[in-house]
Order: sequence, then structure tokens, then C-alpha cells
Amino acid sequence: MKRFTASIALAAMAFLAGPLSAQDIVIGNLADITGGTGDVGKPYADGIKAYTDYINANGGINGRKIKLLQQDYAYKIPEALALYKKFKDQDKVVAIQGWGSGDTEALKEQVAKDQIPYWSASYSAHLTDPTKSPYNFFCAPDYSSACRAGLKYIKDNWKEKRKPKVAFIYPDVGYGKAPIPGGKAYALELGFEIVGEENVDLKALEATTQLLNIKKKDPDFAWIGGTKVSTSVILKDAKKLGLRTKFFGNIWSADEGMPKLAAGAEEGYMVVIGAALYGDKVPGMKAIEKFTNGQPQVSHWIRGWVSMMTMCEVLKIADKNKELNGPGIRKYAEQLKNFDTQGLTAPITYTSTDHRPFMSVILAQFVGGKMVKKATIDLPRKQEWLGL
Amino acid sequence: MSVAHCGDFRQTYRDDMTVLRTRFIRIAVGAFVVLLYLSPLITSNYVTSTMTTIAIAVIGALGINVVTGFTGQISLGQGAFMGVGAFACSYFMRVVHMPFWLAMPMAGLTAAAVGMIFGLPSARLKGLYLAIATLAAQFILQYVFMHLDAVTGGSNGIPSPPPEFGTFAFDGDRSKYYLTITVAIAAVIFTTNLLRSRSGRAFIAVRDHHLSAEIMGVNLFKYRLLSFAVSAFYAGIAGSLWGMYTGYISAEHFTIAESINYLAMIIIGGLGSVLGSIFGAIFMTLLPQVLTVGTGALADIFPKIGFLIMSFKDGVFGIIVILFLIFEPDGLAHRWRMIKTYWKLFPFSY
Repeated sequence: MKRFTASIALAAMAFLAGPLSAQDIVIGNLADITGGTGDVGKPYADGIKAYTDYINANGGINGRKIKLLQQDYAYKIPEALALYKKFKDQDKVVAIQGWGSGDTEALKEQVAKDQIPYWSASYSAHLTDPTKSPYNFFCAPDYSSACRAGLKYIKDNWKEKRKPKVAFIYPDVGYGKAPIPGGKAYALELGFEIVGEENVDLKALEATTQLLNIKKKDPDFAWIGGTKVSTSVILKDAKKLGLRTKFFGNIWSADEGMPKLAAGAEEGYMVVIGAALYGDKVPGMKAIEKFTNGQPQVSHWIRGWVSMMTMCEVLKIADKNKELNGPGIRKYAEQLKNFDTQGLTAPITYTSTDHRPFMSVILAQFVGGKMVKKATIDLPRKQEWLGL
Repeated sequence: MSVAHCGDFRQTYRDDMTVLRTRFIRIAVGAFVVLLYLSPLITSNYVTSTMTTIAIAVIGALGINVVTGFTGQISLGQGAFMGVGAFACSYFMRVVHMPFWLAMPMAGLTAAAVGMIFGLPSARLKGLYLAIATLAAQFILQYVFMHLDAVTGGSNGIPSPPPEFGTFAFDGDRSKYYLTITVAIAAVIFTTNLLRSRSGRAFIAVRDHHLSAEIMGVNLFKYRLLSFAVSAFYAGIAGSLWGMYTGYISAEHFTIAESINYLAMIIIGGLGSVLGSIFGAIFMTLLPQVLTVGTGALADIFPKIGFLIMSFKDGVFGIIVILFLIFEPDGLAHRWRMIKTYWKLFPFSY
């Protein structure tokens, strides 16, 4: 009996969530605001919310407003699944803005079955293969491309005769492991010598053991595939141990807040960024600056903004063609060709056989406590790289 | 007869073996089961799928209650054993091409075998030491999930195909619910009976005083190991159903947090009680969801402090759990008994 009353109470709670007008377009947003990845999840979610408010104030989707249901799942997969069911059955969302590997991987099969397009901030390359994940999209370079771009930049600027030596440091989780096979293969192809591989946990407080191993092998460069905190630990310990290795890393491995954490050890660290930096002189930045009253936001925030911007563009087209439903959104997303994000990212293209948004990767470097753009690497859109 | 005798009047063996003692209880439980089966027809898919997760949690909680609640061996590996079941079930279906109906029990047996291996330290270790040994199981298995790519898909995870019966595929919310609730009811009945069996009484004897149990002729090692096996079997079944429910299994789910969640379920529900496992599973599944929806709704009303309210969620969760432990140390099952006793004598209580 208790179970029954509980379920009634639950249903009643859900009804309280707020009435919608029939004209609103309902979008679900699974965000991590308070969980393990909340430090970067919150700005990303704020970016999504900000663009929603922005477009609602600027004409909406062909006059219709977006009702964004932003829910914090604290990086707990069962909660993400429960919220997804709620989005699907009770709120009848047409599309979802998701967050990390946790929710995206767990929901991959279900969104495909229920035909709900899912934009995420998990950039694993296997999500770009529509034969495996037909309803997954994202608006940043995938992790493997990020790693390849870093390698390419290093190789292009390598002056010595001998082969450059490279090592890979990453956490033993899906996010960390995703780019390693592709990155290693490309490193060999470019003529690197791979000298080492170490695991540093995302929650590591020190990495001396691993870095002593690295020191022995003395690589010229090392890839860091972790998140902000573990990267700062690696960089600090490397400085302490006097490594001469230069580090470069994945999109989540550093952001504008890095100098505070690494206290100088980040100098020269090269990181992949997915979008323009706050204050860049690109047309799209004007709206952001106006909307945020000139308060600087980290790059994750801007990627959240771009992700919602891309989704809204697709919604507009689908709505115009009276196909504002899951399959319709997917269809028009896959027809998106060189969508101009006003310079915030490279132009975005999805096709029905390839969900890689673009192949251009921006690299930034920490110079004097500031994150500055260093180079833009354009990789070829190779078919054999799809999903790898 | 709808009224029980005052006192313990059981005159026949048949009497002694009855679970549901009065007609009223039989009717009430029957009605509850009927209601469980009818509920998907009257509630939304969201409620149905929430009840599916509860049913899965009930099976897992029953399992850990067998080893921890009844046999007194703390196990911190329930989450990992669930993972073993989930991956094994998917493997048997995809690679060996077994039907789900065979793959699920096989996955349970696989988990039981793994559980027995990690239960071996219980021969020598007790209490906290055993807890740490089972904690090792959790981490070792997690490592295996991440690296045994051929079976588990490594860090990418692996799909879990839906069960099929003839041409009917169990891939809708309702069909998944019916399957899960049926297994959960079977698990409840099985556990209730297990505890009244020779093995079940041996479990309790081991928990209550292992020396006395040994003197009575209970083989301590055998029954400790058996309890680990039974517990992991339940976990394996729960894991298979979890795989079926999500359609996709990833190693990221079967972490230490999941194991602790299950331990919390039986502590809140009531150690050593079948009913407690059920209450605990309901409580621990619903509370986060109610808090998420509740704080989300509050954040909508007060957008300025919305973030603050959302951040309170984990804190509130912790406080509620602590309050429960202070005011309900014997668990929800005990409170349930108190309520029943109160109404039994109403309005003429002593």
C-alpha cells in the first residue's frame, strides 16, 4: 500500500512542476550542478539556460517560446534515467540537452529507441557514428580529434631530426580512455615515438609515482586526459619533480580557472578548447557580452550557449516544416550544413552518416596566468576516423 | 479466520509454516499484489518505470540482507556483483545466444560464483576486516569491468538486448515492469521461505553467536560462503534486470556508491527483515527523486536562489538518512510493526 501512496505522491509532485502553454516548446536539460562534475557542469548548464532566455527574449522559435526544464542529476545515473523517463512521458520533451559521459552513455540506446535527439557535452568519438548512436549530437571537437590536433600541432612545430617522444596520462574512465587508441595510432602515423602510458585518477591528490615513471622515460610531450583538478595535480607534481616534458591536454583538462589551481605550474600548458573565449572579437560574442553584462564566463559556458544555439537553429527549421518531433529534428539536424555560430565555433555540419560537427580544433596555451589562443588545427574529415 | 489468537497458538506443523496468518492479511496481500499488476494501467509510464527501479532495488536489497542482515557479514560489494550479473546476462544473450530466460539465471549463478570467491575471506575475517575485504571485491571487479573489453565493452559499455518471448519483445515500460515485478515477488517469496529453512536458521545462528552455532553443529564456513553466494545471486538477477531496464550497461554505474546505497537501504529499512528490504528499497529510490523534483520546483518558484536550493539536495538527503538512523534505529520495518500493533488494539489500547 505504501508503494501505491508513494507513487501517487510522486505523480502529484510532478504535476506541480508548472503548467505550460500549448505553444511552448519543451526541452529537457539533464545537468550536473551539484555532483562530481559540477565545477564545470554548472557553467555549461548556465550557458544553456542563458541562450534559452536570450532566444526567448529575441523572438523564440518562430514566435514560440522554449520552456527549458533544467534538472540537476548530480552525475548519478539512476537519477538521470528517472529524469529522462519524466522528460519523455510526463513533460513530452521534443529534444534533450544532456551533460557528461555518465548520462549520455546510459541513455544512448533509449534516446535512439524513443527517437529523442540528445545534444551532450560528452564528446566521445563513438557518439558521432549515426549507425551506433543515431540521436546523439554535440557541438565541439570529439576527444580523439582533440588529441590528434594536439599531436599534429606538435609535429608541425617539431624542428629536431629525431622522432619526438610522447606519453599519455589519463584517468581509467570512459572519458579518459576514449581518445587513446585513436591518438596513439595517429601519433605513430605522424612519426612519434610512444614512450609511456600512465593512469592518474580523476580524484588523485598526488601523481608522483606516475610522474617518476614518466621522468624515467623522458618524453618531450605528454597528453593529459583528465579534468581540471587532476590536471593541476599533474602539472604541479611535474614542476616539483623537474620534468622537462611539455604537456598538452583534452578539452575538460583546463579552463580559465586553471592558474588559481595550479599556481604557476600551468605556464605553457596547451589545452584544446571547443569554442571562442570570452571577449574574442567575433560577431557572436556581442550577444554574450550584452547578455552577461560584461561578466566574463569560462569556455564551458560558451560551449553550453553554442550547443543550445545549434539546437534552436534545428528547432526553427523543423518547426517551419511542421516536423517538430524527434525524427523531424534529427532529419533537419542532419541537413544542417555549415551552420554559422557567428564565429563562436567553426561552422557546424551534420550529415546522416557523420555527426562530427567540424574538424577544426582550437588550441590555447597558458601564458602568464592567462589562457590565450595559440592555433587552429584543421584536420581532414577522414572516414576511417569516424567513431574512433 | 480473520483474527489471530492472542499469543502464539500454533498447534500443527502446517500452522507453523503459514506465512500469512489471518484471512484479512491474506486478502490484503492479495489485493496489494493485484494492485501492483494493475498499476501500470492506471498510472503514467513515469510512475511505472520508477516502480520498475524500485522492484530491481528490492531484489538487490533482499540479497544484501541475506548476507548482512541475516548472516551478519558486512558486504560492500553488492554493486559490483550487480555489475557481474548485468554484464554476464548481456554476454550470454549476445555471444552465446541464450534466451533471456536462461541468461538471467545463468547471470545469477555467475554472480554467485564470483560472490563465493570474494566471500572466501569470511572464513577467517569478521566485522570491519571482512568489510574491507569485500571492498576489495568492489574495486577489483570495477577494474575488470573497465578492462575486460570483450565482455564488458570496456569504458564504452555494452548494449543489453531486450528479452523476447516468441515474437514479443520486452522493450516497453509496461512489459519491463511486469517482468521485473514478477521476479521481485518471486524473490520476496523465496527469501521468506529461505529464512524458515534449515539454511536460513543456520544463517541466523551464525549471525547471533558464531561460537554457539559451531557448537550446535553449524558449519560456519559453509554457511557464510553460502550466504555470500545467495546474496550475489540476487545481485546478479537484479543486475540482469537493470541491464534490461536501461538497455545499456556501463561500468560507471556499478561503483562503490551503488554498494553503499544498498547497504543504506537495508539499514534504513531494517536489518534482517524481508519487509525492511522492501521499505528500504522504496525509500532510497524515491527520496532522491522526490528531492530532485521538489528542489527543481522550488528553484522554479525562487529562481534567484534556485542554485542554492538545488545544492541543498544532497545535504537534505544526508540529514533525512541521519534522522532516520536516530529516530528509527530498527528501521522502517519496525515502525511498520508499531503502526500495525497500534491499529490492532485501536481504540482500546492499554
